[in-house]
Amino acid sequence: MMLLALAIPWFGGIVVALLDGRKRRTGLVAIAVLAASFIASIVNGIAIYRHGAQEMVAGGWEAGVGITLRLDTLGVAFTVLSLGVLLAALAFEVANGVQTRVFPALVLLMATGLTGLFLTGDAFNFYVFFEISMIAAYVMTSYGGQPRQLRASFIFAVVNLIGSVLFVIGIAAVYHITGRLDMAGIRDQMPLVSTSPAILTATIIFVAFSIKLGLFPFHFWLPPVYTGTTPAVAAILSGALANIGTYGILRFGGDLFPRELARGGNVLLILGSLSIVYGALQAISRGSAGEVLAYSAIGQVGYILIAIGIGGRAGFVAAILYAIINSLNKTALFFAMNLRGWIVSAAFAIGAFSVAGVPPALGFFAKLALFRLGANERDWWVVALVFIGGAMSFIYMFQLYGWRFLKPADGDETPTPLVAQLITGAVALALVALGVWPEPLLALSQHAASVLPGVAP
Amino acid sequence: MSTAMTQHVARLLLLPIFMIAIAVIVKGYADTGDGFAAGVIAALGVLLQYLAFGHEAAERMRIVRYAPLGALLGLIVALLVAFVPMLFGKPVLTHTPGVGEHAVHFGTLEFITPALFDIGVFLVVYGFAVGAIGAIARSYEGEGPR
Repeated sequence: MMLLALAIPWFGGIVVALLDGRKRRTGLVAIAVLAASFIASIVNGIAIYRHGAQEMVAGGWEAGVGITLRLDTLGVAFTVLSLGVLLAALAFEVANGVQTRVFPALVLLMATGLTGLFLTGDAFNFYVFFEISMIAAYVMTSYGGQPRQLRASFIFAVVNLIGSVLFVIGIAAVYHITGRLDMAGIRDQMPLVSTSPAILTATIIFVAFSIKLGLFPFHFWLPPVYTGTTPAVAAILSGALANIGTYGILRFGGDLFPRELARGGNVLLILGSLSIVYGALQAISRGSAGEVLAYSAIGQVGYILIAIGIGGRAGFVAAILYAIINSLNKTALFFAMNLRGWIVSAAFAIGAFSVAGVPPALGFFAKLALFRLGANERDWWVVALVFIGGAMSFIYMFQLYGWRFLKPADGDETPTPLVAQLITGAVALALVALGVWPEPLLALSQHAASVLPGVAP
Repeated sequence: MSTAMTQHVARLLLLPIFMIAIAVIVKGYADTGDGFAAGVIAALGVLLQYLAFGHEAAERMRIVRYAPLGALLGLIVALLVAFVPMLFGKPVLTHTPGVGEHAVHFGTLEFITPALFDIGVFLVVYGFAVGAIGAIARSYEGEGPR
């Protein structure tokens, strides 16, 4: 039963690929498939939370010979999050009317890729599922078919192919220095590897994930892509696909290369700080909603990196919590970006509060976790950064809110379908509900971080 | 640049190319070869038809028209081989008959579920490659000297 969450969207995606995605019925079938997979991953998650991680080697071979599949809380948490975001985005797009026949199938195939990637215990298998989700993303960014989208899709494909090549070089290097591809084997072998090849390999893999995440020096592709695509695709890219970057840095850094991560911690802190400041300054100075949110995404990722850079158990807990909250924030904001109506307006305000870290929105706990981390470590730089970054995100979010929702409607905008408004509202409601009752989420990120051995700071 | 000679040779070569592709799958159980390589070889045979006859004539062939459908079918077959063992409580991709158990032989080909998986992979690779060749050929329609 443990791979049901993987099998359902895979078979479902093939069937949906045969149908015409523009028809409402196909969209509903795809939603049902994705919802089934989402529920299966939650059921799996509960089982693992109670009974501990599950492992399976394909074909019943020995570990190290066959491909290992491993379900632990970290992987399942990211699976549930990503499938949830994909489900909301698919429902949102079906409510708005799907424009191409392949879109629902692409969402399902991306769900397959992401689920496989979060549940694999093998570095090369990770790459394979990574490519499955990226190929779906390449086609998805061209969704809409206007020159703008095609340009965005081209930039996205070129930059991310470079990232993929770097990543596969990194995997080859790991195999070269450890002789293993299964993560458990790599974990055992890495301490025996001498420092310089280990650092070089870890750096290559880190850069590959940074390109996916859109971290400060590797961010250049992100704004044109996020502004060029449609809101649903932007939500998928920043809410679901970007999780690959966070999960990848946590899994490879925290789990497989803890020694190298501890050594490079200061670099991560510097890059993270630069991302925060740069993203916030750019977001304040930008005029269009898409650009503000894109630069905000660059800035928010910086906080995750800082938490990972500080490392240790508390750092990883904060990083996981921040990643989950950030992806929900971005989903709500991108949905609300181009719509009108009071539900959407309220949803956007909640998303904006959440990004700025104002209670009762969930984002407060993300900022709180980082603040505590900084205070405990006597790292006043982090504390200051959380405050300054929070203040700046408050400014740019409400600048945007002012332009978008406090202006009288032009009248020439197409009316928003009510279902799309309700879905946007539901994501925002989840942000408030989890903000009022955050204990399950806090417990989940504690539990997820416990699978990473890390290095005690 | 297609002449009667190239067309004739292209047509003559198609069957041997497919035969080699099948041989690569069959050989794969005792020697180098697998469904992936076989799919690429078979697609090269189709590419030769595109070059010799142009895309309109090539797309009238059945092996080209049904290639995308074959790819989907192949994907389903391969995934079933992977996931069906899980219904019986075994790990994913477990093959039947298992290690050391008796399997029916046909030359070097063993009738075991991995053979089915390889045929699935063959269909996926062949279907995808033929689809890509067709898409590229269509986008060059009417450009350059014929």
